[in-house]
Amino acid sequence: MTTKKTFPHPIGENVPRVDAHEKVTGAALFADDIQFGPGLLFARIKRSPHPHALIKRIDVSKARSFPGVKAVVTGEDFPGFTGLYLQDRHIFCRERARYVGDPVAGVAAVTEDIAERALELIEVEYEPLPGVFDPEFGASPAAPLLHPDLGKYKVMNFIFPAPGTNISNHFKIRKGDAAGAWKDCAAIVERAYHIPHIQHVPIEPHVAIAKVDTHGKVTLWGSSQSPFAQRSLIATAMGISPADVQVIAPYVGGGFGCKAGLSMEALAVAIATQVRGRPVKLRLTREEEFYTAFVRQGLVSHFKMGCDKAGNLLAMENRFYWDGGAYTEYGVNITRASGYSSTGPYDVPNVSTDSFCVYTNHPVGGPMRGFGMPEMHAGLEQCISELAEKIGMDGMEFRKLNCVRTGDTIVTGMIMHPTGLSECLAKAAEAIGWGRKDPPSAPNKRRGKGIALMWKAPAMPPNAGSSAKVDLNEDGTVTVSVGGQELGQGSFTIAAQMAAGALGVPYKDVRVNGPLDTNTSPYEWQTVASRLTWSMGNAVVAAARDARKQIIDMVAEAWNENPDNLDIVDGSVISYKSEESIPLKNIVIYGIPKPNDQGWMGGPVVGRGNFMPGYVTGLDPETGQGPRAVVHYTTGAQAVEVEVDMDTGRVDVIRGVAAFDVGKAINPDMVRAQMEGGFVQGMSTALFEGLQLKEGVLQNSSFVDYRIATSSDAPQDIQTIIVEEAQDDGPWGARGIGEHALVPTVPAIANAIYDAIGLRPGAPPFTPEKIYLLMQEAGLVE
Amino acid sequence: MTIHRITLSINGSSEQVDVSSNLTLLQMLREKLALTGTKNGCMAGECGACTVMLNGEPVNSCMVLAVECDGAEVLTVEGLAKDSVLDPIQESIIDQGGVQCGFCTPGILISARALLDRKPNPSEDDIREALVGNLCRCTGYLRIIEAVQEASERQLQTASGD
Amino acid sequence: MTIDAHPALPEFDYIRPATLVEASQFLVRYPDDARPFLGGTDVFVRMRDGLIKPKYLIDVKNLDGTNDLSFDPQKGLTIGAGVNMNRVIASPAVQTHYPLLAEACRSVASYQLRTRATIAGNICNASPAGDSIGACLVLDGVLDIHGVDGARQEALANFFKGPGKTTLKCGDIVTAIRFPLLPKGAAGAYLKLGRNKLSDLSIVGVTVWGYPDGKVASGYSFRIALASVAPVPLRAERAEAYLSEHTPEAEVFHEAARLAEAACSPIDDVRGSARYRKAMVRNLTRKGLEKAWEGISRQ
Repeated sequence: MTTKKTFPHPIGENVPRVDAHEKVTGAALFADDIQFGPGLLFARIKRSPHPHALIKRIDVSKARSFPGVKAVVTGEDFPGFTGLYLQDRHIFCRERARYVGDPVAGVAAVTEDIAERALELIEVEYEPLPGVFDPEFGASPAAPLLHPDLGKYKVMNFIFPAPGTNISNHFKIRKGDAAGAWKDCAAIVERAYHIPHIQHVPIEPHVAIAKVDTHGKVTLWGSSQSPFAQRSLIATAMGISPADVQVIAPYVGGGFGCKAGLSMEALAVAIATQVRGRPVKLRLTREEEFYTAFVRQGLVSHFKMGCDKAGNLLAMENRFYWDGGAYTEYGVNITRASGYSSTGPYDVPNVSTDSFCVYTNHPVGGPMRGFGMPEMHAGLEQCISELAEKIGMDGMEFRKLNCVRTGDTIVTGMIMHPTGLSECLAKAAEAIGWGRKDPPSAPNKRRGKGIALMWKAPAMPPNAGSSAKVDLNEDGTVTVSVGGQELGQGSFTIAAQMAAGALGVPYKDVRVNGPLDTNTSPYEWQTVASRLTWSMGNAVVAAARDARKQIIDMVAEAWNENPDNLDIVDGSVISYKSEESIPLKNIVIYGIPKPNDQGWMGGPVVGRGNFMPGYVTGLDPETGQGPRAVVHYTTGAQAVEVEVDMDTGRVDVIRGVAAFDVGKAINPDMVRAQMEGGFVQGMSTALFEGLQLKEGVLQNSSFVDYRIATSSDAPQDIQTIIVEEAQDDGPWGARGIGEHALVPTVPAIANAIYDAIGLRPGAPPFTPEKIYLLMQEAGLVE
Repeated sequence: MTIHRITLSINGSSEQVDVSSNLTLLQMLREKLALTGTKNGCMAGECGACTVMLNGEPVNSCMVLAVECDGAEVLTVEGLAKDSVLDPIQESIIDQGGVQCGFCTPGILISARALLDRKPNPSEDDIREALVGNLCRCTGYLRIIEAVQEASERQLQTASGD
Repeated sequence: MTIDAHPALPEFDYIRPATLVEASQFLVRYPDDARPFLGGTDVFVRMRDGLIKPKYLIDVKNLDGTNDLSFDPQKGLTIGAGVNMNRVIASPAVQTHYPLLAEACRSVASYQLRTRATIAGNICNASPAGDSIGACLVLDGVLDIHGVDGARQEALANFFKGPGKTTLKCGDIVTAIRFPLLPKGAAGAYLKLGRNKLSDLSIVGVTVWGYPDGKVASGYSFRIALASVAPVPLRAERAEAYLSEHTPEAEVFHEAARLAEAACSPIDDVRGSARYRKAMVRNLTRKGLEKAWEGISRQ
């Protein structure tokens, strides 16, 4: 007999978002909406027009004396290094510029227009140098050295740069004996892919306002996923204490990773040091947004995989050359994260992976939704389909045979925790009607279906922590404070749900403190990695339970009862024994009077909690093996049905199916919303997106020629399937979904295109031109 | 550069503003009137985050000069709700889960409101076409489309006195 | 090329003349520094990108009848220069008598942009990608122009000289575009290929329009205009001549399409390659002819 688990209200319920009302009325504040008064200065940045050049001379004198200009700074003024995993960049270039857009000087003025005009008065003399525009070339001995001092940079102990080269990280997997396994393979597929750079395209561009007071204390307002990381990085760069840096981060209008870590905010802070006491606002234009903050790295991936005649995967040999760009302070970890997940969600006994992060003279690669997994799966899942066909197996059956299961020893030697991946695969296949080909909608169209699996673990240091606070108010309402940011994914809402569920109060009685403020919000490592539901959630639950314990202990003492018989339900403390009850209001602030007017007990209830995983181990630098590489994996599957127009090559995604194992859907509707949004964003990257870089110069730096999906491109239907195989240390079993929702979409569409026209499209974007010329080359069309 | 004194109605309220020639309607709303609900996403007429109604028709306010709006009527997201009662399109977008980061939302609401004004019973294709100039990166659009359909049903029901 | 776009519009003076004469005179007084604008959707973008730097922007909307759209059953359609594309699309006269014009306008950008965009502006901007230009060409659009020497008319056929270049002289202001009455039984289509399903610029745009014509051997005259595949919006004259000589049917459409392909000279650019564009001219011309023929046959 199975016991059905019950969950406390409102866990698992589709409660309305806490932030919806203010967002639909225009009241929600974003960083550029904050009013600063007439003292506000505006900054603009002078940027290198060369992808690689020595800076011979900068003359800012004319800019400095331009009326309305209050400060002009260059790299001379800021010698410090900064970086999250590897400290390889200065705030402003010193001695050389390494990408088109690299900040060379900054101006603060009384209006944005004056600052902009002052830029033209700054004279910079460059000596262009040969550039590196391909990561395989960049990794070769023939390439010019972009960071000669790589060996001197501070670096975290799980990143392995190769000084004297352009390789800033080399991650290896050596599991079993891949070289020796090929002879046993009945079929082998070997392919290479050039996955282009893309950009996050948040609808809200980056914006930061910085103020440095006369004592040197820093205040930074900004659109940020990572206020605490920014506090830490700024403090390090400036040589001051994090306690003297305050970062205030209101709602973020889309992040997807580009507003994690520290990018353009450092420029605002640096400029602000020259105009003590005055706030300085720096906004990126949409054009600058495309290439001067973070982009998603390009990838040249080489896959070789083989299976036996029954279709069991025997070996994989992967080589990844990540086009990290000019600075790889963040990107080095993408190299690592992709390395330790390099088999994709499959059980493969023999694996050899070399994942290289390579410096190039391209825009700076940083975290983007999926953190290496979309780029990797784009090629890997096409190879899997090709291998299945080669061995004569259906793509779904092949994946069913090989997909990772509970208890498998995965690529790093870790044992796979309970996962519902097989269930995701089966349900996605069923929902798309796998095996059934529907007729095309017109004679000049071809229909096809494709499927792809994925997995991803939160990529973060082993000791990334969360903390939370729960304050009780005099009317019994609850105020939750977290450090996890609301980017639209719904983190504030689930924080409220989890506090309500763990404490025993109605959801409507919970408020979430915002905006985030490092002076008053509890610490959160960063809002990245799809880690908040799980990690921040655990901290919120711990804080709520802490508050609950204080309340129950107080009432138990007042009632002379055993605390084990008491509970908080629907905002009241109740005794299961005596059936007494008392509402939370008043007692949670003012306490409970002792009998006979003998005083008071209790006091204002403040619950606190934190969570930090303690079990992630290091990995052997030569083999990438270790007992526990990551905290957990979220797994899933997507299936799509497409139509290819034979006259134009246009690929129309008719419908999609997404099935993910989220452990426990705290708010099922918001989980579905992530699955839908991720699908469409993934589809957008599959069909439209790519930064067209020519000799380091971006050719499509505006919406005119960097296209993203519009309302007309969204499919007719996206079916979302929630699978729940509980995460042992997740709140009510929950784990993340935010990134995973876009990881398999590119290969699912690629595999569907193959089903439709019998040609594999390779690297995205699968533009009409790409598909038409592919068909033309193959003689399918005129 | 010439400064122009203009008078116009914004969300039903009369305003007099001094604007330089090169100030866009978007900048005037955000910087001179602190109506920050309307957003700046691209300054190029591509993303739609700046959409407002000008004399009853949606425009990208980043592509309109403030000085051109002398004597005009402007409606922004702040003017959609009447006396704290949300417009049906605002209610529906919340109900359908069509709000995530919220940055595209003001522009979307104005475009949707304008569509329902001119076509109270739009088809799904009508909705997709009407919203094509409002980019959203978070939701994938389907819930927004459903929200417009639901709002249209709400309105038609109210109109027929149900 | 990476656009060095400014964060906002550079400084300029906004001038709103009261009459066409005043407007023309102002333009002539400042030949290098003054520029007329209607919706501004092209001008503002180019100013912010630093490509043009006018000191004066002359608002030529609302001048002397430029806001009128009217249809005369004896003479044809007149669309004032200031009439925005949404008005053109919604006009019952246009929908009934010039549906191709509505179809072309409807393909432009987005509803918000079409509230500001005008056909006259599209024409004067003279981008080879201009979506409404093909329809205006095939429907024999004629421009009413007010210049320093007074009013004149100019057919569109020789109006375009290169990307962004027209025969307009300093002081000229387009006040309207006129279309003659169309022959009975005519039908057409505008096939626009963008990267998105809706809203993009055209990578290739093909306008096809035809009507029963007793004066030609095949009995039907067709007109084909091509967008984004030459320095100017292009008429595929050899294809048109071929169609006037051969009875309409599938193989004839194929051959006409090949002739249209041969007529164009697209370039490789960030939006597409010449090779793809040529193939698309061919395919879309064929489809356009099929669609136009279907429309003609239905009547």
